[in-house]
Amino acid sequence: MEDTHNHPNYVMVWFALAVMTAVEVGITFLSWSKTALILVLVGLAIWKALLVALYFMHLRFESRPLRILAVAPIPLAFILVLAVITEFRW
Amino acid sequence: MSDVNVMKPMPHTETGAGVYNEKLGIWVFLGSEIMFFTALIGSYIILRVGNPGAWPAVGPREVLNIPITAGNTFLLICSSVSMVKAFAAIAAGDQRGLRLWLIVTVVMGASFVGVQAYEYSQLVHHGFVPSGGIFPSTFYTMTGFHGFHVTVGVICMVFVTWKAFRGKYTAQDYRGVEVIGLYWHFVDLVWIILFTIVYLI
Amino acid sequence: MASIAAPVEHATHGHDPSFVRKYIFSTDHKIIGIQFLLMSLLFLLLGGLLAMVIRWQQGFPGQPMPGGGAFPETMISDGIVLPEFYNSLVTMHGTFMVFFAIMPLLVGVFGNYLIPLKIGAPDMAFPRLNMASFWLAVPAGFLMLAGFWVEGGHAAAGWTAYAPLSADPEWTGVSLGQQFWCVSLIVLGLSSILGATNYITTVINMRTQGMTWFRMPLSIWALFITAILVLLAMPILSGALIMLLFDQTLGTTFFLPGDGLPILWQHLFWFFGHPEVYILILPAMGFVSDIIANGSRKPIFGYHSMVFALIGIAFLGWIVWGHHMFQSGMNPTLGMTFMISTMVISVPSAIKVFNWLGTIWGGSVKFTVPMLNACAFVAMFIIGGLSGVFMASTPVDIYIHDTYFIVAHLHYVLFGGSLFAIFGAITFWYPKMFGRMMNPFWGKVHFWLTFIFYNLTFFPMHQLGLEGHMRRIYDAGRYDFLAGTSGLNVLISVSAFILFSVQIIFVINFIVSWFKGQRAPDNPWDDTGLEWTTPSPPPHGNWATAPTVHSAPYEFSVPGMEADFLMQDQQRERQPAAPSGGSIEGGAS
Repeated sequence: MEDTHNHPNYVMVWFALAVMTAVEVGITFLSWSKTALILVLVGLAIWKALLVALYFMHLRFESRPLRILAVAPIPLAFILVLAVITEFRW
Repeated sequence: MSDVNVMKPMPHTETGAGVYNEKLGIWVFLGSEIMFFTALIGSYIILRVGNPGAWPAVGPREVLNIPITAGNTFLLICSSVSMVKAFAAIAAGDQRGLRLWLIVTVVMGASFVGVQAYEYSQLVHHGFVPSGGIFPSTFYTMTGFHGFHVTVGVICMVFVTWKAFRGKYTAQDYRGVEVIGLYWHFVDLVWIILFTIVYLI
Repeated sequence: MASIAAPVEHATHGHDPSFVRKYIFSTDHKIIGIQFLLMSLLFLLLGGLLAMVIRWQQGFPGQPMPGGGAFPETMISDGIVLPEFYNSLVTMHGTFMVFFAIMPLLVGVFGNYLIPLKIGAPDMAFPRLNMASFWLAVPAGFLMLAGFWVEGGHAAAGWTAYAPLSADPEWTGVSLGQQFWCVSLIVLGLSSILGATNYITTVINMRTQGMTWFRMPLSIWALFITAILVLLAMPILSGALIMLLFDQTLGTTFFLPGDGLPILWQHLFWFFGHPEVYILILPAMGFVSDIIANGSRKPIFGYHSMVFALIGIAFLGWIVWGHHMFQSGMNPTLGMTFMISTMVISVPSAIKVFNWLGTIWGGSVKFTVPMLNACAFVAMFIIGGLSGVFMASTPVDIYIHDTYFIVAHLHYVLFGGSLFAIFGAITFWYPKMFGRMMNPFWGKVHFWLTFIFYNLTFFPMHQLGLEGHMRRIYDAGRYDFLAGTSGLNVLISVSAFILFSVQIIFVINFIVSWFKGQRAPDNPWDDTGLEWTTPSPPPHGNWATAPTVHSAPYEFSVPGMEADFLMQDQQRERQPAAPSGGSIEGGAS
């Protein structure tokens, strides 16, 4: 499976990650509303995490079962946090 | 090694994932790590939503040093790149490239921990300690356990680098490099999320 | 990286491993399984002893306990159990039984022993990691034992360690013991997670040729799904324990009132805790399926639905945790969602019960000792499951929560369920493990006496709970409204003492058979699994050449066949114009 596959352009991914990090830090110092800030920052963080997972961890080139394995715990994280938040926000 | 192609799963087996044992194993283990950080980060989110007044009104940046940690974030991202370059090198049989990039990764990883230790010492010096309330409680626990995972990663990476220098990895069998690489990228991934949630929001 | 070494290479190394490498620091899954077995049985005994002290206090409060002088004065003074020690007793009984007895017995023992053998693999995917798993569990066990000797006494906040009681020493008066409790479970959690990684990788990647997913025996399906639950649930507990430990030692405030959230502990604990109780039952269900098919000489009824029921229980198990918290002051609307999901989860469990009954119905039933225990599992699980329906209903639970009704329920599923399954499984696989049979006569005596006194001990607890008898209380006599419960409490305690004493039969049978039991053939139960195709006990590496699977897992009484069972590595001969049926796959493989 690993012997021959096209390596993605790691430098491009690195560049994208660096730019997004800078943008994130920059946004923090602007005076946006809390909601807008959270949405954009979390969105950027997720995008960065996806880049690392898909390209550095090669999930983009792996089989479907392995990809399912990798993402399987994530719904559980959502269930836990969202359910408990209803204790304080409804 | 026998004549079995060690990068593929065992012959004469019914395999579900189509990858060799060690790679499947590390992905499975990372599943548990996702849940571990879910407990910590999820608790942080819940605690902050439940008690927003315990955090500075302007945000964590009132106390935390964003420039230094942003730089540290960049450093860890770079170490992920060097890690994957090491992986690409050995996949192509480039022993020199493997060793070079592994050393770069070790140095950057160790530096990340060093910077974090410095950050902690500065914060403590300014009176920001774990017993100071829920903000420092969550901060030190989350970043501390992440730092612990990075440290374990650096130690394992040193071991892999040592093996690389002894010529233990070839283009036909570089399992150890791929496995430590996956762990390392995961640690980077967690930091990407942590940095945003803990420092910026 | 020995994961792909062919089994035969080990045998031709030309040197015999030392006693230490062979039996102490072994990487052989069979030895590790037996190591877990011996360790867990010891903790099972210890948990039972603690229960005896609990029952003395409940049945005969104020009266000096025989043997009480053996305990330090800080625990039992003049034969009277001290209230602080009573809190530690109930805490440690639960802790030892859940974490150090039942869980390792089901997962550590049989996960290790059966998985490679029943899927046709020479060993686990990561044998050295497997060894590490066991040797992490051992210090965890020592640490948990050590808590009895530290200043202030052992943990005393219940096995559920609710905060802020568990987080602030000011309230329990126990600091070091509670910390030991946390650290021990963190270490044990790591052991379990590494073990789960091993089991999952092994089942996915190392099934021998022909062992497709739907030819796997249900015991392996159950262990596999349980391993996934362990992998994903234990880390939540680890995270929560770390936060609790930091509250206890570093002055953090995660679970303390003020700027922390005490109820967060409950949510985290039960988010782990509910999958945990499925971890404590699913493997048992798997063993019971194997044993009942064998004892009925019939294929399991509804094999596919059994698999989907296991998966369904595991899936749903993630969204029911709040039913442990109906009385906590949680958001009532959230509580309602938990009531619904909890009611729903009874469906796959019921499917399994009906399938077991459907398997036995019309079978040529042989009541071997394993079969007796497996049938008891089904009956007791029905009772335990039915009481669960009452508890699932929030309005009812408000009345019975934290009473002996709950204690009855949990003991019906954990003892009536899991432990009977364990007795059956140990008896069933003992010949494979030790090359000898356990004595069947004493096995039956043990079974019947255990069954009778077990029910006498725990059934009345339903009544106690309905009368309002709270759990974990030191002395019911201090409450006027519980004045009438002393009779039942005495009955329960006396039955419990006899129940515990009867276990000596099992212990003696286990030990004596090891040395003097009748030598076991390869396949003493005429069973179909791959483990019975290799000698008892199997050599290192299990087979000289890996077996190839041709048949479904429960080919008993196949129409047209002369023998009454077909092993999985055998092929059924082509029958001329034979009616199909009997085989899960509907025809000759």
